[in-house]
Amino acid sequence: MSAPAIRADALTKRYGERNVVDGVSFSIERGGIFGFLGPNGSGKSTTIKMLCGLVMPTAGSAQIDGLDVVSDSSEVRRRIGYMAQGFAMYTDLTAEENMEFYARAYELSKERREKRKASVIELTGIGKFLQTRAGILSGGWQRRLALACALLHDPPIVFLDEPTAGIDPVARRELWDLLFQLAGGGKTFFVTTHYMDEAERCSEVAYTFDGKLIACGSGDDLRRLPDVEQPGTVRYAVDAHEIMAVFSALRALPYVKDATIFGREVHVIVDLSVTPQKIAGDLHGLTGPEAVKRIEPTLEDVFVALTREQNT
Amino acid sequence: MRALFDVHGLNAVFYKEIRHVVRDPATLALALAMPLMQLLLFGYAINLNVEHIRSAYYSEDRGRLAEQVVDGLKASRGFDIVSVAPSREALLQEIVAGKVHVGFDFPEDFSADVSRGKPSSMQVLIDGSDSAIAQSAYGSAAEIGTAISQRLSPMNGIPTLVDVRPRMLFNPSLRSANFLVPGLIGLVMQNITIMLTALSIVGERERGTLDQILVTPIGTTALMLGKLVPYGIVGFLDFLLVLAAMHWVFGVPIAGNLLLLLLLGIGFLLTVLGLGLLISTFARSQMQAMLMAAFILLPSVLLSGMLFERELMPPVMQAVSYMLPLTYFLDILRGIIVRGAGLRDLWSSALATVLFGVFVLGLASIRFARTTS
Repeated sequence: MSAPAIRADALTKRYGERNVVDGVSFSIERGGIFGFLGPNGSGKSTTIKMLCGLVMPTAGSAQIDGLDVVSDSSEVRRRIGYMAQGFAMYTDLTAEENMEFYARAYELSKERREKRKASVIELTGIGKFLQTRAGILSGGWQRRLALACALLHDPPIVFLDEPTAGIDPVARRELWDLLFQLAGGGKTFFVTTHYMDEAERCSEVAYTFDGKLIACGSGDDLRRLPDVEQPGTVRYAVDAHEIMAVFSALRALPYVKDATIFGREVHVIVDLSVTPQKIAGDLHGLTGPEAVKRIEPTLEDVFVALTREQNT
Repeated sequence: MRALFDVHGLNAVFYKEIRHVVRDPATLALALAMPLMQLLLFGYAINLNVEHIRSAYYSEDRGRLAEQVVDGLKASRGFDIVSVAPSREALLQEIVAGKVHVGFDFPEDFSADVSRGKPSSMQVLIDGSDSAIAQSAYGSAAEIGTAISQRLSPMNGIPTLVDVRPRMLFNPSLRSANFLVPGLIGLVMQNITIMLTALSIVGERERGTLDQILVTPIGTTALMLGKLVPYGIVGFLDFLLVLAAMHWVFGVPIAGNLLLLLLLGIGFLLTVLGLGLLISTFARSQMQAMLMAAFILLPSVLLSGMLFERELMPPVMQAVSYMLPLTYFLDILRGIIVRGAGLRDLWSSALATVLFGVFVLGLASIRFARTTS
């Protein structure tokens, strides 16, 4: 099969006067993790819901495995897994009962149900909580349970709507390791997230703003966008103890095109001709030249630049 | 597109719903105990004075006295004469069918006896299934006897020249329970079923589990049946439970056919399940669903005839009462339980109940299918 795993053509959803999703187009190849990013209210969840057949597009179309999400929705449903935003399992049922429900929902035979359950239990490691009510599992285990349920019918394509929102960093990392393992096995994941470190781990990312797709491609593709790296400029990270003082001082320098605080660093964009020594010197001892390092833009830099571009 | 009739995954939804019930015995216990409690609380409650009671008469009187008495009744506020029965049996039948609540029966020699100064008696048949009506009718009938006697012979002071003999039908002890309790059965069935169905579906929407179901191959019909059948069963258990309580706690016997009552009860359950489903398609939150259920509840209590006679209401309110499914089921409950009426007497209410069930459930299903696809 040559059809892309997921394809959207000018996908649009209008609520009232507002285009919540506005002519979004992309094509995603099989295997790998596609990160779908954007601020709150930029239409991420609505896009996922249209791709899963939960929301009817106002205009445009989308295909999953070459099947139209509107006209072939019943076939599409058998090929996709979906993990809703938040925790959408039955909190009063045990982990195993939740799995049993979804296994039956896909009308798997009893033999196949047992086999698939055993498989996702092993994969997610949820075995020791099978008899625990879903409501009292920790956030990380709840997500694992939801993922286990989404994988029961062994779908080639899985949609995860903010799978790591609100869970602790260790659980977050473990969940991503699991996604990589599964993507390595050939599954395609479509993941929305707010976390930039997660975006860096995706094989491809798309960035939406106000319903429009403003960038799509691999991380390196995005880093090289003209809006992000203006020709003839260079990006430095300035490490500083007195971050606010350094930040104000940098912003006051006439040759600094942009300055943004990232933790204990300030990222600045300057012309190629400006050296680290000059920057350190102009800071008048607030920090030494060894603290000024040339860096590649992070995806966060990319999105800050793109969002700024949209707002102006 | 999602097909309108699609039962894929029905087994899964049943499995899940049964688990919910097993996991939450408190809610089930509440669902079964609440109607019972409401029944007990309301059971002894209200008494009202009633005027303009629908009445009929049958007269064999060869003289004119019966007519004069009837004219007097027509002028009074106590009774409205709405029909003239062709026979004594027909008079009784009109009461059994619920068309009138009181029947006046004048004997052959009524005028003749009285004119000769000989005491004569007329019989007043009173429908005891509505204790408020019956009590008022009883009082008014006794007054009539005294009034006629005094007018005919103001001098001789014999108050018993015309002897009015009230005969209470169906509920001789005039217990208000016999009137109120059958009416309450419909109300409590309605409340609990609408509430459970609507809250369960809206709750799934609120928690996001509905979306999670809708991406699976579970069909719309399967989802709906999976929700409605368990709550339908709970509603039917409630029905049996309150009937039993009525019988053993309040001592109200079922005069008519129990099987007919149960069958028509299922018809009413379809309507209220449909109402619950319908609410779930409008309500965005469980709170909204509760308020909508309360919105249906209030007119049901006030206008269905459960507490107040519908004939006494202003025409607008009467028109509203015809749009309430409970109005018809109430007629069936009182008809079968208290008056021993059969399908022949209650066919119009039975038909209305079934039509309501089909219409409401049909409309709710279509809306539900639309909102889930």
